[in-house]
Amino acid sequence: MPPLAYHALVGFIVLNVVIGMVTYVTLLERKFAARMQSRIGPYYVGPRGLLQPIADALKLMLKEDIVPARADRFIYNLAPIAFLLPCILIFATLPFAPGLGVADLNIGVLFFLAVSSLEIVGLFMGGWGSNNKYALLSAMRAVNQIISYDLPFVFAAFVPVLLAGSLQMSAIVEAQRGLWFVAYPVIGQLAFVLFLIATLAAENRVPFDILEAESELVAGFRVEYSGMKFALIQLGEYAHMIGTSFLGALLFLGGWLGPGADTPLVGALWFLLKAMLVFLVVTWVRWSFVRIRVDHILAVSWKLLLPATLVLLLLTGFLVAARGPHAG
Amino acid sequence: MPVETRRGFWGETLQLVRAVGRAMGVTFKNLLRRPITVRYPTVKRVFPDRFRGILALTYDPQTGEENCIGCRLCEYICPPQVIKVEMLKAEKRNWAKTFTLELYSCEFCELCVQVCPTDAIVMLRSFDLATADRRELLLDKDRLHALGLQFEPSWATGNRLRDMQAPPKPVKPATHSTPDRRAPEASEGAPTADPRSAAPSSANP
Repeated sequence: MPPLAYHALVGFIVLNVVIGMVTYVTLLERKFAARMQSRIGPYYVGPRGLLQPIADALKLMLKEDIVPARADRFIYNLAPIAFLLPCILIFATLPFAPGLGVADLNIGVLFFLAVSSLEIVGLFMGGWGSNNKYALLSAMRAVNQIISYDLPFVFAAFVPVLLAGSLQMSAIVEAQRGLWFVAYPVIGQLAFVLFLIATLAAENRVPFDILEAESELVAGFRVEYSGMKFALIQLGEYAHMIGTSFLGALLFLGGWLGPGADTPLVGALWFLLKAMLVFLVVTWVRWSFVRIRVDHILAVSWKLLLPATLVLLLLTGFLVAARGPHAG
Repeated sequence: MPVETRRGFWGETLQLVRAVGRAMGVTFKNLLRRPITVRYPTVKRVFPDRFRGILALTYDPQTGEENCIGCRLCEYICPPQVIKVEMLKAEKRNWAKTFTLELYSCEFCELCVQVCPTDAIVMLRSFDLATADRRELLLDKDRLHALGLQFEPSWATGNRLRDMQAPPKPVKPATHSTPDRRAPEASEGAPTADPRSAAPSSANP
């Protein structure tokens, strides 16, 4: 098989798996949230509610697609695609198991971080194109926040990169063969916690979800979207969330490593399990806290997270310079 | 938050970490508990004895006659004024000519049940009121009687409630007027033999 066809095939499979996973992760989140509130969550559609995501998707597809009269039609219609594209693209460099991935770039982490922050373009397009003051305000808040949190996010993600001495994702996983980076004394735990906090903010999740404040901004930048476009935006948000969960699992929890990980399928299963663990922690946080005020969010980013991650990165740099990269 | 206070930066951070731990601990404890959801249409909760549900009119189980004597006490006491009764005078006893109840405005205060001298109006152990048409909740006499046969009535009837509230005043002040010396008249369960003996004035302050 020529390499181009191989990559296209793997890309097609990964794309579909990702979309299927995103659909079902919404169910996982709803069930998990329900249990935290002593409810049972969706259970009518299919056995134990297992078909709920499909019903939701069908419902959204059948909805009328409304474009506001005064909206900037071109930008408004393009925004969901511009939003979804980077969110799906981030899966391109993720190796799900040794040799199982679309493209194992030698700058995989850099590609991931760069592409994942591109979503704010689509987000702002949506807010701007809707010609709605709430949507615009929300989009501005989101851009403000995501730009603020991208720095600590990147710095926290670069701690494992420094430790492994490589930007290639598979090399980072291989470097954790002896010791997962989350277990690396002090630096690992601190970096992981900071990474999780920055992740929450970068995904606009509670407690950093100021962009969809029901009381002031209604549903935020997607307030004017309905039907399939709304579904695409939701898909993008969840894809971004899962992608970041996968990144967290890869950088800190040893990716596909685990008992029997040499068979690609078992490895992929381990990776999925760890990513879902990260995702559940994020969901757990969501149902434990209330929203933080806007100025506090920015203060946390610039006054706490940024210096903390910088110092941590510096310390890791000294450590690696003194002892050499952490080899698995 | 890194805001300068008396506690200082590290004190604030410690407080923050503790608060985070506490909040996440609460949700985690909840995660391990069983859901308390009752899957309503298939599983039904046990109703309490004095459940205040849909209102209905009753028949006398012995004679099969309607209990309502059309005295209009329920109409007078009803706070949202949803009950309208017309009395039909007759030789032996009186009847309700019409009895309408606007259940959509009812506030389920049970006052009509409490004042009813003949235990004619009762509340049922059911709250299945949902309907697509508001007019279906405008209940007339026949519909109210039919509802009374359809669902199980609550424990509370007018006579039982009045018995529970206050024992009849003794003629002479007794040495110990304890609640167990309740008047045995209007025995529980059996409908009142003569409706007129249970004086409405004793119940209505």
